[in-house]
Amino acid sequence: MKEVMSGNHAVSYGAMLSRAQVIAAYPITPQTQIVEMLSEFCRTGRLKAKFIKVESEHSALAACIGASIAGARAFTATSAQGLALMHELIHWAANGRMPIVMADVNRSMAPGWSIWTDQNDSLSQRDTGWLQFYCESNQEVIDTIIQGYKIAETVLLPVMVVLDAFVLSHTSEGVDIPEQKLVDKFLPPYKPQYKMDLNQTLAFGALVTPDYNFELKYQIQEAMEYSLTLARKVDKEFKRFSGRNYGLIEPYRCARAEIILVTSGTITSTAREVIDNLRKQGEKIGLLKIRMFRPFPAQEVIEALEDCKKVAVIDRNIGYGVGGILCQEIKSAFCNNARRPEIFGYITGIGGRDVTPDTIMEIVIDVRKNNKADNRIKYVGLRKLR
Amino acid sequence: MKQVFQLPPWAISTESTLYNKTGSWRNYRPVYRNRIPPCNNACPSGEKIQQYIDILNQEEGLYKAWKLLTQDNPFPAVCGRVCFHPCENSCNRSDYDEPINIHTIERFIGDIGLNEGFKWRLPRVNKKYKIAIIGAGPAGLSCAYHLRRRGYQSTIFEADNKLGGLLSQGIPSYRLPQDIVQAEIARIIKSDVKIHSNTAIGNEYDFDKLLKEYKTVFIAIGAHKEKKLGIPGAEHPSVIPALEFLYQLCAGKRVKIGQRVGIIGGGNSALDAARSVLRLGKKPIVIYRRTENEMPAILDEIQEAKEEQIEFVFLAAPERIIIRNNKIVSLECIKMKLGQADKTGRRQPIPIKGSDFKVGVDTIIPAIGEEVDTSFIPGSFLKVLDDTVSTNYEGVFAGGDAVTGPKTVVDAIGAGKKAAHLIHCYLRQVCLPVGASEKPVVFEDLNTAYFEHETRIPSGKLPLSSRLKTFAEVYQGYEKPQLKQECSRCFSCGVCNKCDNCFVFCPDMSVNKRAGKYEFDYDYCKGCGVCVLECPRNAIGLVQEER
Amino acid sequence: MKFTIPQEENMHPGHLACPGCGGALAMRLALKALGKKTMVVLPACCWSIINGPFPYSAVKVPLFHTAFETAGSVSSGIKAALDILGKKDITVLAWAGDGGTFDIGLQALSAAAERNDDFIYVCYDNEAYMNTGIQRSSATPWGAWSSTTPAAKEEPKKNIMDIMVAHRIPYAATASVSYPDDFIRKLKRAKDIKGTRFIHALVCCPTGWKCSSEISIKLTRLAVQSGIFPLYEVENGLKYTLNKPQQISPDNKLIRSYLGAQGRFANLSEKDTKKIVADIKSEWLRLLNKIEGNICIKQ
Repeated sequence: MKEVMSGNHAVSYGAMLSRAQVIAAYPITPQTQIVEMLSEFCRTGRLKAKFIKVESEHSALAACIGASIAGARAFTATSAQGLALMHELIHWAANGRMPIVMADVNRSMAPGWSIWTDQNDSLSQRDTGWLQFYCESNQEVIDTIIQGYKIAETVLLPVMVVLDAFVLSHTSEGVDIPEQKLVDKFLPPYKPQYKMDLNQTLAFGALVTPDYNFELKYQIQEAMEYSLTLARKVDKEFKRFSGRNYGLIEPYRCARAEIILVTSGTITSTAREVIDNLRKQGEKIGLLKIRMFRPFPAQEVIEALEDCKKVAVIDRNIGYGVGGILCQEIKSAFCNNARRPEIFGYITGIGGRDVTPDTIMEIVIDVRKNNKADNRIKYVGLRKLR
Repeated sequence: MKQVFQLPPWAISTESTLYNKTGSWRNYRPVYRNRIPPCNNACPSGEKIQQYIDILNQEEGLYKAWKLLTQDNPFPAVCGRVCFHPCENSCNRSDYDEPINIHTIERFIGDIGLNEGFKWRLPRVNKKYKIAIIGAGPAGLSCAYHLRRRGYQSTIFEADNKLGGLLSQGIPSYRLPQDIVQAEIARIIKSDVKIHSNTAIGNEYDFDKLLKEYKTVFIAIGAHKEKKLGIPGAEHPSVIPALEFLYQLCAGKRVKIGQRVGIIGGGNSALDAARSVLRLGKKPIVIYRRTENEMPAILDEIQEAKEEQIEFVFLAAPERIIIRNNKIVSLECIKMKLGQADKTGRRQPIPIKGSDFKVGVDTIIPAIGEEVDTSFIPGSFLKVLDDTVSTNYEGVFAGGDAVTGPKTVVDAIGAGKKAAHLIHCYLRQVCLPVGASEKPVVFEDLNTAYFEHETRIPSGKLPLSSRLKTFAEVYQGYEKPQLKQECSRCFSCGVCNKCDNCFVFCPDMSVNKRAGKYEFDYDYCKGCGVCVLECPRNAIGLVQEER
Repeated sequence: MKFTIPQEENMHPGHLACPGCGGALAMRLALKALGKKTMVVLPACCWSIINGPFPYSAVKVPLFHTAFETAGSVSSGIKAALDILGKKDITVLAWAGDGGTFDIGLQALSAAAERNDDFIYVCYDNEAYMNTGIQRSSATPWGAWSSTTPAAKEEPKKNIMDIMVAHRIPYAATASVSYPDDFIRKLKRAKDIKGTRFIHALVCCPTGWKCSSEISIKLTRLAVQSGIFPLYEVENGLKYTLNKPQQISPDNKLIRSYLGAQGRFANLSEKDTKKIVADIKSEWLRLLNKIEGNICIKQ
């Protein structure tokens, strides 16, 4: 069944179809519609869940952690400051191996106040042990929420599904809502092996001496590595009933491409248009969409890019003092690879500044004229400052 | 590298902390150690008072309580009535609210023992030893009983036809009914004790002969010789010594007294006489040299006498009995004042010159004390050694009022018990300690936070109106609910009574209850000492660990 | 008097509490009262250590170690999960120290109380951050030494009961391990009520109070007797009941013997002591006024 809905509502539908059992969230623009719709679902009984209306994002994630350890499927959604406030518990959820799914609507970090998109909020959480998916469309949002639970509950790690503020969150598109019955078959009820249970009387999260901690942290990395394989499998499985899949990355028109743009989030859609136009004109150019950022599918990225001459990585974020974060990841992926293209890093769209086909074109033109990449950061759409 | 091992996905604890033997942290170790309760310590016959009250509190049965009580004192029904109960005076509860009514509890146990016909299980008699006891008063009977408990049979020689000494000759029945006395005596006799009554040593039986025949003799003849009043007119037939008066009454004989009877003295005998006079329908007037505070009589007795509105003339000493027409018409007295305290701590009365006054009486009962009469012992005098029981004669022991001068029933019973012990030691040529000499528990040792204030339950009592005309017993004792209530007030000083506090307050679950007893689990006890302090009765001590 | 407390023992020895720890006893008694169908939520506090390191645990019920400020929120989450999973007969027990309650955890606690989420929250208050080395918290009393108030704390103790009562939660009570019968009664009573139930238990920390371990229970008893920590219950934020009133007499002697037994008050001058005595007396009167207020409510 197709319906026109915003990205935020796609999140709500995703959580409902996944039969989230405990939802705890705190309102923050641009995430508010997600929780508004979920509370409506809970009120009408469309979703049989407890909605805990907490007083902060910190408590939101804490409540989700409590719910998860007690054996329930937990969901929350936030943005920017809210995500930052959660930071302690972001670690807690991952180190506690809790399969919580959270939607983060990318929003620029304050101050000054901003409600518009960039990726610095979610990318600040990249080393916490959460899986991260960056979505391009509202359809992908709903589908990734559902896939997210399946992956999370298998590898026992939390999943963050990321969407751009406004560009996706408040933009309506036609979305095919998967049939509940099929979703239920794909995603059976959550049955954790370890949980707060009167028959088990376990204690969770005690003081860990140096004798054990190394191994426990290592197990998280192991699970991260496994989740690459698993996410591919789950994505394929998802296709079997929905007809849709996304891959961890998506190479678009990369066949024999000499230049490949690398994007994430909604910039991808914009870039697709530019690529289509240039291909029509016969240019050997392609696009690589990075959907899964954590764990970073480095091998797949290498395979997608190693045959081209030049790679332009477009980052809607800044790793202050280094540059675009995605660019760093890709560079480091190629570091020990024998064959590697020239890798150019572009930063654009910070603080919600529009990224239009012209912006993308500007990048293409720049890449065309340079044959040798250096480590200088290139900014696109940045006004000149005196 | 470390060996391969299995881990849960994250820090999930599956084991208990039992692995961690925190006992190794300990510097001090708590130990259960029972201390001497002050009541037990104060009892001349060494009754284990706290223990029998505890038996009642734990509802382990009256027989068990009786058995324990009579291990030390075969006269609970008697002592429950007439003992001056030093146990109550030393009771730590008196520093909190009021002392436990121990004597009424004792009386209840004693009466139950008689009513139910409780019996002792005594060892077989060892015929090898022959022991004579002179005097069937409380000391002699107590000695006979305690010897019997050790397997010795003794023979008691009693000058009177009635057994019991002072118990059956000197205490009026409104205080101590004779059937009670005789029943408790009979129980002792029935336990295989030989009796020769109407056999005064010196008269019917020669002391040397006795010594030759029995080798071991315990002299418990009491103190019967009345002190002489020694004032003009004291030889008049209407001057009746108190003991004589009480003896006649106890024997059920009528004693001729007038309408107004002057009783001289402040001891128990004086009050016994006065209250008896009252019951005979006459007017008693008690004349005492000092004030009420110095009266040697039991406090309860003084209270009773006052309740019965007996007239007291304090600070007055008799000077002369005025006789007209061969009849006593009055007693001339001199007023006294109190001077310095003497060795015994009592303030000495000093006559006030020219303060003579008359008290109109027609009969006089002097109750000024008794002396010991050892005239039957030939040759030299009897000397009692430092242990207060052995004498300078080989195989001769002495005790009770005969040694101490007039004292109390329970002192005599205690002396009999001690004599039995020393006789046992003498016969077997062993030296056993007489009793523990530890310091008893004092009030400051207790943790009173766990005690509620509760008033002492008084014994049942005949109403004043119905007791003045008869010799019926004044005190009626307890019913069972009162007994229970009063027993529950006991602090159980120094002795664990399973109150659970050590168990309840242990932060380390290191107090285990096994078979009704507590044990410390030294594997885990950290030696914090909380149990020591929270034990309400100081029954836990701390000892330093030797490591 | 004999305490009749449940025999059931839901805690193992071998735990890591200091000798004489009132907090350890508090947990023991609480678990006796609440029984096996209990789940414990434990934010950072002494008990994080007491319960033992991985892979050990001292309590015989499930326990979740959580972040310092999350006792309220995690408990809400657990209870919500149990509800939705149909496990309605389990008591969720949030067990936090004074730091986790008065300070860092107050926000989450207040929110949970406002939502009236269904769990019991016990604050075992030892009046400072003992686990980290006796730093002051807002529960540290005026005049007390701590490692961050090397002279003396200059601010009065926060009144957490007033704060919680202001939420109109169904049940709030003070409790003391020195009165085990009352302590257990309150936890049992709390167990039978739905909604947020708050219990404030003052417990002695011999280490941080600088006193000998054996007087641990005695001190908290003195705290009750002297009116420093009166035992009372408040229903629905309105109805106050004073417990053990016959035990309490806020007099000079009791207060002084409480203060005098603790090294953390060793620096008090006579003037300081007088101020403390006066403050305690006025707080006591304030409480009595609230109890009197009950009468007005009834009309």
